[in-house]
Amino acid sequence: MGAPAATPGPAPLMRTPRTVHIDLTASCNLRCRYCYFFNNPAVDYRDLPTEEWLTFFAELGALKVMNVILAGGEPFKRPDLPALLEGIVRHRMRFALLSNGALIEEGIAAFIAATRRCDYVQVSVDGASSAAHDAGRGRGSFKGAVRGIRVLQGHGVPVTVRVTIHRHNVGDLDNIARLLLEELGLPSFSTNAAGYLGSCQRHADELLLTAAERQEAMAALLRLAARYPGRIQASAGPLAEGRTWARMEAARRDHAPPFANGGRLTGCGCPQSEITVRADGAIVPCSMLAHLELGRIQRDSLAAIWREAPALAALRARSVIPLRDFAFCAGCAYTAYCTGNCPGLAYALTGQVDHPSPDACLRRFLADSGRLDAILKPASPAAARLE
Amino acid sequence: MVELDDLVNDARPLANPITVLREEFDDWAVLFNPDTAEAVCLDPVGVAVWKRLDGQRTLEQIARDLEDDFSEVPATAAQDLRAFVADLARDGFIGYEVTGAA
Repeated sequence: MGAPAATPGPAPLMRTPRTVHIDLTASCNLRCRYCYFFNNPAVDYRDLPTEEWLTFFAELGALKVMNVILAGGEPFKRPDLPALLEGIVRHRMRFALLSNGALIEEGIAAFIAATRRCDYVQVSVDGASSAAHDAGRGRGSFKGAVRGIRVLQGHGVPVTVRVTIHRHNVGDLDNIARLLLEELGLPSFSTNAAGYLGSCQRHADELLLTAAERQEAMAALLRLAARYPGRIQASAGPLAEGRTWARMEAARRDHAPPFANGGRLTGCGCPQSEITVRADGAIVPCSMLAHLELGRIQRDSLAAIWREAPALAALRARSVIPLRDFAFCAGCAYTAYCTGNCPGLAYALTGQVDHPSPDACLRRFLADSGRLDAILKPASPAAARLE
Repeated sequence: MVELDDLVNDARPLANPITVLREEFDDWAVLFNPDTAEAVCLDPVGVAVWKRLDGQRTLEQIARDLEDDFSEVPATAAQDLRAFVADLARDGFIGYEVTGAA
């Protein structure tokens, strides 16, 4: 392997965030066993009144924010949701909603469609049947999710689905893909895996994928992604790992030069363009770093926090921290091709933000008896290089 | 739709008021239409043009402004300006006052 390339500095910073994530409510009609949001001791679970959000949306409009992504809790639990969406639209922004689907009724779906500013509503579906889905999200939640999707489709609202993979649905992925892409006719869906966050920490042994199950999920998702080209997406979780790890393994075998983003903690680019507001109005870098309070809406200027908050600057500066500085990475053959992955999971698993995440560590996967060759043979051109 | 050949130098293009101009680092910017989700990147000259699309100035006047404000303006600047404005019109970022209409 050649010498590492010169270390680039952090990417140029946008003057204001392009996208703002808002946990619109701390209330939810479900109690999913792997919810990242609930059971975080750092979070004050309370809601703000309508007027405070509307004032904040005016501030976002003045800052030329382009997109607002509304989550929770369950955003459809807010009875003032139409007024809040109107506030977003009035200030020339687009929006998306992340939902479990069960509370989506004809009236609100028609309202969303009429705004013409909805990028998508993302509904969580984790199984192809009530048995598989409800095991993680509660009785009746599958029927609610499917009904919600059909209501949105009936009004022409763009719908997408997020599938969270865990030990109880890892064997159901073919059926889930068939349900979503064929029976429901969705253009695409995305996948992730249950992570060691929030409520999931209480059920980790029962829910988090073992190396063998992760291998099974990667193989299934890579096969399904080949069967449904461009229709299954992932920025994290088994599908993303299968694709990334294939490139890393091929690079290691070929003694390839370091990846442009490799060898440093570059795994998260969100602080360059996005920021999050908790349901109680605390401004944080991300829902997965909800303990890092940067300020509060109404009290603090979002623009000033964006430019000046030391904790945000430190997160952006992660991208120049070399992986070779960590004992965790010592002797790893993949360091030059690794990004250190998600800082939120790194914090949850190690107590440190400035640390590689053990969750998506290829070396750890292999040490736990995970096998890449078995995963990659059938589906990927990279597989040939692994022979 | 306004095509390039339809644009005359006394056209007075007007920025679509719904459009958002996000000025970024190094004087570049993003134009964003929240109704269509269309976004385009503007270089500093494009930003200068955008800020003059007020329905009052003609293309000819805007071209003269650019010559005053920027150095080394190429000979093709007026034609480039017409093409740029036609592209913005095609994508819904600007409109025109229609003169002589009933």
